[in-house]
Amino acid sequence: MKKMINIEVQNFSYKGSASAGLHDISLHIKDGETVLLCGASGCGKTTVLRLINGLIPHYYRGELNGRITVNGIDIPSAELYDLASIVGTVFQNPRSQFFSVDTDGEITFGTENIGIDPDEILKRKSEVVNELELKPLLGKSLFELSGGEKQKIACAGVSALMPDVMLLDEPSSNLDWKAIEELKKVIKHWKAKGKTIIISEHRLWYLKNLIDRVIYMKDGRIEKEWNKAGFNSLTSDELCALGLRPTEIEEKYIEEFGRGIFSTENIHPCSTLSSESRITLKDMFFTYKPQKYFIKKKKLNAADSADYTLAIPELEIPRGKVIGLIGKNGAGKSTFLRCLCGLEKDCTLRLTSDEETVSGRKILKKCYMVMQDVNHQLFTDSVEAEVMLSMDNEDKDQAAKIIAELGLAGYENTHPMALSGGQKQRVAIASALAANAEILLFDEPTSGLDHAHMTSVADLLTELAKKGRTIIVSTHDPELISLCCDHILCLEKGRLKYMRKC
Amino acid sequence: MKEKKLKPKDFITVGIFTALLFVVEFACGMLGFIHPYVVASYVVLIPIVGSIPMMLFYTKVEKFGMITLMSVLVAIIMFATGMGWLGAPLIIISGLIADLIAKKGNYKSFKSTVLSHGIFCLWICANYFPVIVTAKSYRKNLIDGGYSAEYCDSLFRAINSKTIFVLLILCVIFGMIGAFVGKAVVRKHFEKAGIV
Amino acid sequence: MRGIYLDPRTKLFMIFVVSLIVMSNAVTPLEWTIRILLTAIPVFLLITEGKYASALRFTAMYAVSLILMRSFISEDSKGLLSALLVGYCGIVVQFLPAMITAWYVIKTTKIGEFMSAMQKMHVPDGISVSLAVVMRFFPTIKEEYGSIRDAMKMRGISFGGGKLSGMIEYRMIPLMFSCVNIGDELSAAAVTRGLGAPIKRTSAYELRLSTRDIAVMAVFTLSACLFIGAKIIG
Repeated sequence: MKKMINIEVQNFSYKGSASAGLHDISLHIKDGETVLLCGASGCGKTTVLRLINGLIPHYYRGELNGRITVNGIDIPSAELYDLASIVGTVFQNPRSQFFSVDTDGEITFGTENIGIDPDEILKRKSEVVNELELKPLLGKSLFELSGGEKQKIACAGVSALMPDVMLLDEPSSNLDWKAIEELKKVIKHWKAKGKTIIISEHRLWYLKNLIDRVIYMKDGRIEKEWNKAGFNSLTSDELCALGLRPTEIEEKYIEEFGRGIFSTENIHPCSTLSSESRITLKDMFFTYKPQKYFIKKKKLNAADSADYTLAIPELEIPRGKVIGLIGKNGAGKSTFLRCLCGLEKDCTLRLTSDEETVSGRKILKKCYMVMQDVNHQLFTDSVEAEVMLSMDNEDKDQAAKIIAELGLAGYENTHPMALSGGQKQRVAIASALAANAEILLFDEPTSGLDHAHMTSVADLLTELAKKGRTIIVSTHDPELISLCCDHILCLEKGRLKYMRKC
Repeated sequence: MKEKKLKPKDFITVGIFTALLFVVEFACGMLGFIHPYVVASYVVLIPIVGSIPMMLFYTKVEKFGMITLMSVLVAIIMFATGMGWLGAPLIIISGLIADLIAKKGNYKSFKSTVLSHGIFCLWICANYFPVIVTAKSYRKNLIDGGYSAEYCDSLFRAINSKTIFVLLILCVIFGMIGAFVGKAVVRKHFEKAGIV
Repeated sequence: MRGIYLDPRTKLFMIFVVSLIVMSNAVTPLEWTIRILLTAIPVFLLITEGKYASALRFTAMYAVSLILMRSFISEDSKGLLSALLVGYCGIVVQFLPAMITAWYVIKTTKIGEFMSAMQKMHVPDGISVSLAVVMRFFPTIKEEYGSIRDAMKMRGISFGGGKLSGMIEYRMIPLMFSCVNIGDELSAAAVTRGLGAPIKRTSAYELRLSTRDIAVMAVFTLSACLFIGAKIIG
């Protein structure tokens, strides 16, 4: 069979950065092959993809020694716009890769750029819409879509260009299980059409049966290679030893929790927390569409709760434990977190802890949320200032203690934005500790993380819980749940489905 | 290797920073609703606050045309948001001059950046054009309606065809002061974080 | 598709005429009639698009200001309050028509349409591409700013710790970091999909001026002529 992609690169380094380059990469991919690139973050997976789609050397500058050809075309001397109909790329972040505001425009964007005839564009569009089942998404604003839906539109936009090679760069990072299933269908469809597919990914379980070959990278080199059977016979321990995410745990947990989340049967909330110290949430009612009197909004109450977005009359949360918050997309997890940390001022929540009951604005003092995009909550120009900003009375010693506790010693004067993703997360946690928040909320803290980083988040959460903080972590990551959660709280349609011990 | 032609990446950069600049403009515009006199202080507010995105933008400018392009966008958006098209020549000409000045400093020299930003800030005065142009008939209308001439004068004291020259000069001065403020912020955050 | 579909070029022409008329003051009843008519058209179009709330808000604002201004001026009243009120109402009456039209155009035009309209008017690609980015970034900035505001609330620094500079800095800095990041990723994604090809961009939907468009343009042209004519004669 003919070789689709040939990479022979002795050396590549990004301009102005010593690390994160590639060395001695020799990779040949056959026409129609599906290849998985795996390895810890920073191992060079994304860089390899950029060699294939031409972003290196045309967009990201650097020192490149070697040859790359795709379908006989020499990438370094080709123009990016000529490659658009040969190599298609789906990127990691669904939020930042779309150019249009509406779904229709996004699907046709690429085809319009390369000057395809309008009739042909419409033909391709309707084809793609049928194949990827996008009918319900047409005519919508991309800003209304969930991450999974955005990712599907991104796939459609690439598909409409009809390239022979499809690259996917950690496409599942921000997706839940259901959306990953959908993504899997898309990849399957491309495979059936004979496309050459290369996927860089941390979450491996959903690709197990799709791939033909697995390339394992480490420090910019190709370390290992398996065929499908060889890869699938690796045990969880072997995968963990390589720093990869075991496939079985995810599958097992999806099986287990998935049933809980997606089944229609009612599991009754159990309350076996009798002996433990607890925090009580009462009257957690919230709706995005409040009934309005002339000027004042109607106060939310239990009697009207049938239509509310979130309605949890009473919930007891064990203190000093890690609680995993699960549920389908749109089940109200984020609303739950927002209400719990006092961001929705119409929420009628009363929070009782240590005989003290707070509501309204005061909840903001009790709880602190580490957001999914942690960049939004870093404000100052140094880690130390960031921590001090949270304190009512600035206390340098206390700040230093917290910083050291989170393993950030030595970074006191570094700009938070210059840190790695994991370190940023720790800075956000540090500022929560400095504010003396009792309950820490985490929104998808492990999305897009590799095995090692995910484990360290799990350890950190356990550690924080041991020190008496109550942790609620909203997640789609079964491995994280299995590693650190003591309890599981499942929501469905804004109602409590169950709360139980792990 | 030095390319002169603007690339898609440059267009996108210009687009983003124009959007950010307009966020500043709209935020200040909101303040304008508090009192019409606040409108006169745009010449101070917008250059200073707007200098934060603008100075970051200047660090990203390497080719001729980006600043001019931004001024064209500003003119179009001013038109589309109902500010009229009278300001367009002023906006685009000052953008072009600002671009030429920055080019003289090779888009590196801070001195030219300061001057360039000062000139670029002239676009802010386009906010006043509709008021100035209608002022005469508007004033006549008020006097016809029984208002004293003094009152009308006081209403238009801050903004009229005479003070506009003062306002234009203020724009340049505060634009230049803003460049220092913006540069300080860029140094404090973006350079320290290694983004630029 | 909902509403009365108009070509983006027609919409731009509407803005042009309205801002032309807004530039000069209306005195005679005829001039007022033209002005109010031209204000009513975009309001009506907003209603056909199902944007009742904004149509209602604009109408109420315009009507109240108009009535207030007329009655206050005729009453020969003085004093600070009425002076202020007249100032406000004057500005609203003067410029609201242009704003309504602009609002309607921005709310109902898709980026793709807008770009192909620009192309039809022989505007260089650079301008239409960057304009499209501006339009895409307003909602993005809104989204990002929402998260940043939440984060500020949690930290208790919504008022910048009491400092004006803090209020601005804590809002602008994270916003700019986010936008620069998104912009980089967006550029990469766009160039892999052929943005910047040195050929004529095509458009999935060919723009064509329909009879509707011509009718609307005719109404606006006629109004403009009448208005200017009335000015010259008056």
